[in-house]
Amino acid sequence: MGEHGIALTINGERREGRLEARRTLADFLREDCELTGTHLGCEHGVCGACTVVLDGDAVRSCLLFAVQADGAEVVTIEGLAGPDGALSTVQEAFRAEHGLQCGFCTPGFVVTVTQLLSENPTPTDDEIREGISGNLCRCTGYQGIVKAVRRAAEAGR
Amino acid sequence: MKPAAFEYHAPETIADAVSVLAEHADEAKPLAGGQSLVPMLALRLTRFMHLVDLNRVTELTGIRRDNGSVVIGAMTRQRSVERDPTIATTSPLLAASVPLIGHSQIRNRGTIGGSIAHADPASELPAVALALDADLEIASRAGMRTIAATDFFEGTWTTCLADDELLTAVRFPVWEGRCGFAFDEVARRSGDFALAGVAVAVEVDGADAIQRCAIGLLGLGSTPRRASAAEAALVGRAPTSDELDEVAQLAVADLDPPDDIHGTASYRRRVGAHLVRRAMGHALEEATNG
Amino acid sequence: MTATQPPGTTHSAGRFVGQSVTRREDPRLLTGHGRYVDDVVVQGMLHAAFVRSDLARGRITRLEVEAARRHPGVHAVLTAADLNADAGSLQPTMFQGATPPSPCAPVRLLADGDVRFVGDPVAIVIATSRYVAEDACELVEVDYEALEPIVDPEVALTETERLVHPELGSNVAMSVPTPPDPELDAIFESAAHVVHETFQQHRHTCVPMEARGVVASYEPSSGELDIWLSTQNPHEARQVCSRLTGVPAHKVRVRAADVGGGFGQKYFLQRDEQIVVAAARRTGRAVKWIEDRRENLIAATHARADRIAIDVAVDPEGRLLAARLDHLEDCGAYPLGGTGGVGPFVAMLFPGPYRIGRMGFVSSAVWTNTCGRGAYRGPWMLETVAREQMVDVVARAIGMDPLEVRRRNVVAATELPFTTAMGMELDHVTPAETLEQAVEIIGYDAFRAEQRRAFEDEGRLLGIGIGLYVEPTSMGSGSLGVETATVRVQPGGTVTVMLGTGSHGQGVETTMAQVVAEHLGVELDDVVVVQGDTATAPFGAGTGGSRTAVVAGGATREASLKVREKVVEIAAHLLEAAPEDLEVVDGQVSVRGTPSKGVPLTEVARVAYNDPAELPPGVAPSLEATVSYQAPPITWSNACHVCTIEVDPGTGLVAILRYVVSEDCGVMINPMIVEGQIAGGVVQGIGGVLYEHLIYDENGTPLTTTFLDYLLPTASEVPEIEYGHIETRSPTPGGHKGMGEGGAIGSPPAVFNAVADALALRGATVAEQPLTPTRVLDALADA
Repeated sequence: MGEHGIALTINGERREGRLEARRTLADFLREDCELTGTHLGCEHGVCGACTVVLDGDAVRSCLLFAVQADGAEVVTIEGLAGPDGALSTVQEAFRAEHGLQCGFCTPGFVVTVTQLLSENPTPTDDEIREGISGNLCRCTGYQGIVKAVRRAAEAGR
Repeated sequence: MKPAAFEYHAPETIADAVSVLAEHADEAKPLAGGQSLVPMLALRLTRFMHLVDLNRVTELTGIRRDNGSVVIGAMTRQRSVERDPTIATTSPLLAASVPLIGHSQIRNRGTIGGSIAHADPASELPAVALALDADLEIASRAGMRTIAATDFFEGTWTTCLADDELLTAVRFPVWEGRCGFAFDEVARRSGDFALAGVAVAVEVDGADAIQRCAIGLLGLGSTPRRASAAEAALVGRAPTSDELDEVAQLAVADLDPPDDIHGTASYRRRVGAHLVRRAMGHALEEATNG
Repeated sequence: MTATQPPGTTHSAGRFVGQSVTRREDPRLLTGHGRYVDDVVVQGMLHAAFVRSDLARGRITRLEVEAARRHPGVHAVLTAADLNADAGSLQPTMFQGATPPSPCAPVRLLADGDVRFVGDPVAIVIATSRYVAEDACELVEVDYEALEPIVDPEVALTETERLVHPELGSNVAMSVPTPPDPELDAIFESAAHVVHETFQQHRHTCVPMEARGVVASYEPSSGELDIWLSTQNPHEARQVCSRLTGVPAHKVRVRAADVGGGFGQKYFLQRDEQIVVAAARRTGRAVKWIEDRRENLIAATHARADRIAIDVAVDPEGRLLAARLDHLEDCGAYPLGGTGGVGPFVAMLFPGPYRIGRMGFVSSAVWTNTCGRGAYRGPWMLETVAREQMVDVVARAIGMDPLEVRRRNVVAATELPFTTAMGMELDHVTPAETLEQAVEIIGYDAFRAEQRRAFEDEGRLLGIGIGLYVEPTSMGSGSLGVETATVRVQPGGTVTVMLGTGSHGQGVETTMAQVVAEHLGVELDDVVVVQGDTATAPFGAGTGGSRTAVVAGGATREASLKVREKVVEIAAHLLEAAPEDLEVVDGQVSVRGTPSKGVPLTEVARVAYNDPAELPPGVAPSLEATVSYQAPPITWSNACHVCTIEVDPGTGLVAILRYVVSEDCGVMINPMIVEGQIAGGVVQGIGGVLYEHLIYDENGTPLTTTFLDYLLPTASEVPEIEYGHIETRSPTPGGHKGMGEGGAIGSPPAVFNAVADALALRGATVAEQPLTPTRVLDALADA
C-alpha cells in the first residue's frame, strides 16, 4: 500500500512524516516523533493511556490513524509542562496527592484531566469520576487521582 | 495489535465519498468516528482493502431544525449533540441518551451516523432512532433515498445499507404537546454497552390519557426493538401502577435477548421489564405535569 | 533489635521516615519522560510477534513457515526446531537443583509437536516492524489435529485418559492430605454446630497497565547478552537468561527502567520473554517484543482459580473449634514456577488471627489446558477469602452477628505470641485492635440499625462485610529473605544507594532515600537510589512479596548507619572531638549543642577520597558500606477491611457505599505510599469480586480477551477509601513491616461478605464469584 505525507503541529512544533495509512497516531507519536510519553495499554480504545488532545478534544490516539491528523494540532503529555520543565497545575496536583504509582496510565490521565478542567473548571465529585471513567488505572485505585483533580480544580480557582 | 494494510481515501464531498464506495463496493468501508471500527481493525477481526475517511466531508456535519424534525448530519460528533443547547428541548431522548455513550473521549470522535450505521444492538442511538421513528437519509452514486428506522436495522451490526451506500443524515421527529421522555440503561460499569436499556417517549391528552407511546429497547435482541404490543396496550389509557407493571412484562414477553458472559437472556428480560416500568413511570410523570 | 512497643501505640515520625514525602519518580512520569521497555530503542532493533495456538489441546500436524519467511521485511521465523534444543532450563532459580520444592510442568520454549492451551506460542516472527511481523504471522500455516481438552479442574482431578502433560502421567500436579486425625474427628462429632460451605474463587489476574515486554540483544563479537525488561526482579531474570542461553551470567545484563505495574506477573520470566531472548541469542540481533493486551489476557499468567470446601465445628458460644479444608487449585498448563500453586500454604494460613483449635486439610493442584497460573498480589490469599467468608456463613447459621463471632475468636494482644492451629507463631500483630478501629470508623452498629430500617421501610438491601487478616510479609526464605544495599557517599558529598529491588510503582526511589536520609543524616535531595540494572545493583530478589520496606529497608538502614559511623569517626578526628558528641543533620556533622563546631559531609568525603593522609589512623579511604540483611522467617502485618454496599434488587448491581481499612504495618516509611498501596489492592479486590473474570468455554477457548470483556473497575465504580492506622513495631531494623499485598487480601471477602449480608435479608445466598448482576438476581430469585 502507498505511503502518505502528513504535516501537523505537535506541542506547538511542526512535524512531518511519510507513512502507511494504517500507522496509528499513537505509533507515529511514539516512534516517528520519539514522543514516548503517550502509552499503549490496550490498543483497542478502552484504557485511555494513549489519550492526546487533537484540535482541542481529548481523544484515544490508538484509534486514529496518523494520516487522519494531517493538518491538525496535537498536544501530548510532553506539551503540558512549562518550557523550563515546571509542572502544570494538574501535574503538580497529581504529585501532591500521590495520583500515580507506576506512571504508565498517568500521561493519559493528565491529558484527560487537563481537558476536563478546561471545559468544566468546577466539577462535582460525580463529574470528576465520570470524567475520568474512560481511563483505567491499576495501581492507585483512583484515590489519589480523584483527589488530584479536586486539588487542581481548587488551584485553578 | 496492528491493523492489516489498506488503501486510504479522504474525500471532501459526499459525491466523492459515494464514488469511492461505488468503485470498491464490499472491499470498502466508511470510517466515521472510528471508535467501533478501529478496534476491530486492530484486532484483525475485520479488514477492508479500502477505508473511506469521512472526517473531511463537512457537508455531513451539522444540527438543524427542519419542520417537525431535528436533522443531524451523520458525521456530527456525539459531543456536539451533547453540548448543543437546543437538543434538550427539541429531542430530550437524545439529550438523555448521548451522555451515556461510552466516555467523553469516545464521544469526542464518535458520530451520530457512525453509531447508527454500526448498529450495535446494545448501543443507545439505534434504539433512540427506532423509538422516535427517525428517518435515515442515504446517498449513493445513484442518488438519495430515505429509509424509516424501522426498516433500517436487520441484525447485529447489520443494516439495510448496501456496500456502496452512505448514511448522510438522521431526522429525529420532534414531539410536541404534553410529552414526557425517559432513557435508562443497565450496564456492568459506567460507559459500558447496555445489558438492557429503554428509550421511552409518551404523549398524553388533556385528560392524561396516553395519546401515543414509543418504547425502544436496546441490548434485548439482535437489533434495537420496539415494544409494539406494550405500546398498543397503553394507547388511550391513563394506566395505574399495576397496569404499568403488566405492560412492562408485556414489553419483554416476545423478546429473544442475547445470552452471554455479561448477562443471561433471562437476566436481560427481567431487567428490561424493570427498566420499562421505571422509565414509563418517569415519562408519564413528566408528561402529566406538563 | 528494637523492643516491641505495646500494640496500638503510634510513633512520632522521624525527620524523613514516617513523612508523606512526595515522590522523586513523579516529575519524569508526569511529564511523559518515563522510560518503559517500549520506549527503549536499540540500533538495528527488530520486532517480534508470535503465532499462537487457537486450540486448547492438539497435535501439530503441519507447520509451514516459508511464505512468512519470504514476506518483505521479515528477518526470521523460528519454531521449536530452531530454538528448543539449545535451550537450558527455563525454570526460575528456586526450582533449579535436583529436588525442586514442587513438581514442575515440562515447559519448553516453543510448542513442539503439540499445543496445550490457547495462546501456546508456536512460532516467533522477527521483522522490521510489529506491523510487518503481524502480517507475516498470518502467512504461517499451522494445522492441528484437535484433541479434547481438559478445562474443568474437577475433571482434571479424576481424568486419567486425557493428560495435559503426557510426560507426567497424571493431571494431578500435587496432592497433600494431612494424616487421619481421630482427635479432629471427635471435635466435629461432638460440636454443637457443624457448618459446611464450598466457595469458588474464579479465575482473574494481575493486568498491569503496561503489559509484558523485552528488548534482547546479543552481540556475537563480545558474547554479551543485553536485555531491557519490564520486570520486578532484574537479577532473577539475569540468572534465568544465562541458564537459558548458555551465556555466562557475567556477560548478561538485565535492565529494568520504569516498569508499568506487575502485581506478581513480572516477578519471574515467562516463556514468551524467554523465547525472545533465545531468538536474540540465535540471530545475533536486537529483538523487541511488546506484549499486546490480547496476549496479556490470554497468555500471561492467570491466578485465583480455586475451589475450597470447608467444614467448621463451632461451640454453642460461637467459638471456632476446628476446621477441615478441601482445596483444589487450577494451575493451567504452564504455571510459573513449579505448580504455580500455594495450596499447603493456604491451609497453613487459614486460621488467620483466630483461635481455631485444630485443622485438617487436603490440598490438591491440577494441570488443565488453560493459561498457566502465576503469582498475583497475595498468591495465598484464598485463606483469607475462605476463612472470612466462612465466618459470616457460620454467623448466619448460628444466628450471631459476624462481628460478634469475630470478637469471640480473634486473638487478643495479651495472648501474643500465639501459635495457631497450623503451628505459625503470631506476634507483633493487632488484629483485634484493627477490627475495633475499622468498625468504629464505619459506624457498624449505626449501620445495622440503618440496614434494618431501610429493609423494613423501603425494601432496600444494604449490607456490611468484614475482611480480617494477618499477612506474612518479607518471607525470609532463600534469596527472598535477603537484600544487599550499598550506600556510597560520593566524592562531592551526595549519596548514592544501590539496591537489588525492582520498583514498579511502590516509590522505592523515594522510600529508600528517606531511610538513608534519616539514618545517615543528610538532606533527602542529596540521596539518589539506583536500582534495576544488574551491572550496578547488588544481588537482590527484586520487589514483590511485600518485602521492600523490611528487607531492602533493613539493608539500607544498616548500611546507612555503618556509613554514618565512619563519617562520625572521620569528622571526630578532623574536629578533635569525641565521636559520641557528634550529630549528623542535613549533611552537617557538628558537636551537639555547638553547631559552629562542625564540618560538612562534603569535607568528610573530600578527605576520605582525595586526602587520605588526613584520615584517622586505621581508617581506610573511601566512604561507603555494603550490608546484606537477612530478614526473619516471617514479619507479620495485619489489617481489617470493612465495607458497606447496597444491592439494587431490580438490576442486581452492587454499589459500594463506604470502605474502611484499619491497618498495622509497623513503622511506615511514607504514609502516603502505604495508603496508595492499600488503595490499589482494595480496588483490585473490588474488581475481582464484582467485575473481572477470565472465562474459558468448554473447548478451552478464552472468551475474555480484550478490555471490552475483561472488566476493570473505573473511578465511577469505587468509593473513597478511609484509613485508620495502628503502629506496632516489628522486631526488624526500623520496625517496618511489609504491606504491599494486603489491600488485595482483605478486600475480596469484605466485599463478598457485604453482598452476602445484603442478600441474606431476603434469605438469598451466594458462594460463587464473580458477583455479577445475573448471579445476584438469580440468588434473589432462588430465595
